Amino acid sequence: MTVIGGRVWLFGDDLNTDVIHPPAFYSLDPDKVRRGLFHGYDPDIQPNIRPGDVVVAGRNFGCGSSRETSIRAIKLNGIGAVIAVDFARIFFRNATNNGLPCLTFADADDLARLRTGQRVRVHPEEATLRTEEDETIPLTPPGEFVRRIWAAGGLLELLPRANAPRP
Amino acid sequence: MTGRTISDKVIDAHTCDENDTSLYRRVNVDAVLGHDATTALLIDDFERHGLSIWDRDRVLLANDHFSPPATAERADISNRFLSFAREQAVPNLMLDRGICHQLLVEHRLCQAGGLIVGADSHTIMAGGIGACATGMGATDILFTLATGTTWMRRPETIAVRFRGTLPTQSGGRDVVLALLGILGESGGQYRSLEFHDDSGTRLCQDDRFAIANMAVEIGAKFGVFVPDEVTVDYYVKRDGELLGTLVRPDADARYERVIDLDLSALDPRVAKPWSPANVVPLRELEPVRITTAFLGSCASGRLSDLRDAAAELTDRKVHPGVRFVVIPASVEVFKQALRAGYVETLTEAGAIVNHSSCGACGGIDKGVLGADDVCVSSSNRNFRGRMGHWDSRTYLASARTVARAAVRGALTPDLYRDQGDE
Repeated sequence: MTVIGGRVWLFGDDLNTDVIHPPAFYSLDPDKVRRGLFHGYDPDIQPNIRPGDVVVAGRNFGCGSSRETSIRAIKLNGIGAVIAVDFARIFFRNATNNGLPCLTFADADDLARLRTGQRVRVHPEEATLRTEEDETIPLTPPGEFVRRIWAAGGLLELLPRANAPRP
Repeated sequence: MTGRTISDKVIDAHTCDENDTSLYRRVNVDAVLGHDATTALLIDDFERHGLSIWDRDRVLLANDHFSPPATAERADISNRFLSFAREQAVPNLMLDRGICHQLLVEHRLCQAGGLIVGADSHTIMAGGIGACATGMGATDILFTLATGTTWMRRPETIAVRFRGTLPTQSGGRDVVLALLGILGESGGQYRSLEFHDDSGTRLCQDDRFAIANMAVEIGAKFGVFVPDEVTVDYYVKRDGELLGTLVRPDADARYERVIDLDLSALDPRVAKPWSPANVVPLRELEPVRITTAFLGSCASGRLSDLRDAAAELTDRKVHPGVRFVVIPASVEVFKQALRAGYVETLTEAGAIVNHSSCGACGGIDKGVLGADDVCVSSSNRNFRGRMGHWDSRTYLASARTVARAAVRGALTPDLYRDQGDE
């Protein structure tokens, strides 16, 4: 998994999937899904996201619904990684399955060292985040299971061949 | 070997690949649940990979989000879902029959001791009858549809023991709201909540479904009741006999935490905007006028909820300032409510009884909120913007409290004091 570089978008605790991506933007149309990201929370965020930007949040990021439109919206806007104190389990699985790196702080107190707009570089493989002030914030290394999905490029690439293309 | 909890046993019994990494184990599943909104997200990938369903008899698909569709875009999504289900020849395609989670527990596919996954977070509700069931996203479900397997991490278990006897005004919703008040939105994160009902009169099955359903609001992976005579009664009534396996924890099962909840002191609870964990006793709530009351959703649209609401509305009228929307959780529940006369009572009182579906719970249709709306709802989430406008406000409560508030036109701390009851 490559290094991600961009600006921080900082959020608090318990950011649920209805706030990440309001139900009104549920769609199979990628453009509609893309525009919905954080729309209720602050409609000015989405138009200003640049590829490689990083979402940083507190505890329990992504709690609530299992709708993968929340992951799609994050990916369609080019967000490169989500760094949080911890993640809700369905969100974490969905993100990992879709190749969106989700990492947690090795020390939750490091959340306070980050602010919106700050430039950072996230190294998923070495599990670090470097700030523009050249501080290195350690992240919890992902387990072997997560690395395997990352390496494959998503869960679908791990589908066994037994159920591969029919003739 | 230390004692095992229910989830330990169910995961062990379904493990199919011991050589997988120790933290995650590959498991066989007994059933897969999907609905229109989430299943539609996986169809393109499923077809692109040329996949087929591993065992179509073990799949239950239901169109509950868009039932019937309110917009042309949703009709297209619905049609995509339905044609996929028909092309795959899924025998258990439940067309316009109600909310998938209710349909699952009404179906033989859902058995005690089973391991079930579904493309919706509230799949966890099947834990109300002793199944280990959990919600996942579309990509996970695609993988399971193709292989009949998924990966699972063994969750730590929190035991929740109910003691005492629940006051008649309170129900399962008040119990789970009280638990949310204790554990918060992430207190059960990655955990299995194991409910031990040692209460005096035993919680009724509908109350158990409500509790298991909202275990996911605490972050839980499973919310499973230790099966007992209430469970057996349910299965015998449904299937004519007990077909599943009653999996109970060992006496020396290892729990991360044990929570004792005395139900006898539990009066009605309310979750204030915008978190299901923002819970206070109703008696401590600042009075708030409401514009909308919603009785429905997979959390609480069952027969006992409709019965409670009908009892509250008998010879009373819905407040003229309130729109009261009622949506039975399934067509089966609706038919039972028709036979019991609840639908007539509710309709006479001024409530609107809509077709079984998710309705306004996820901001879909049949009562979506505007900016100025204040809603009291029996649904499971009051996240900001979920039921409609970002500025709308939703309070979560039991069906009985929703009905009382609908009559009063307000949620008030004295809602249970001056209607001449208990």
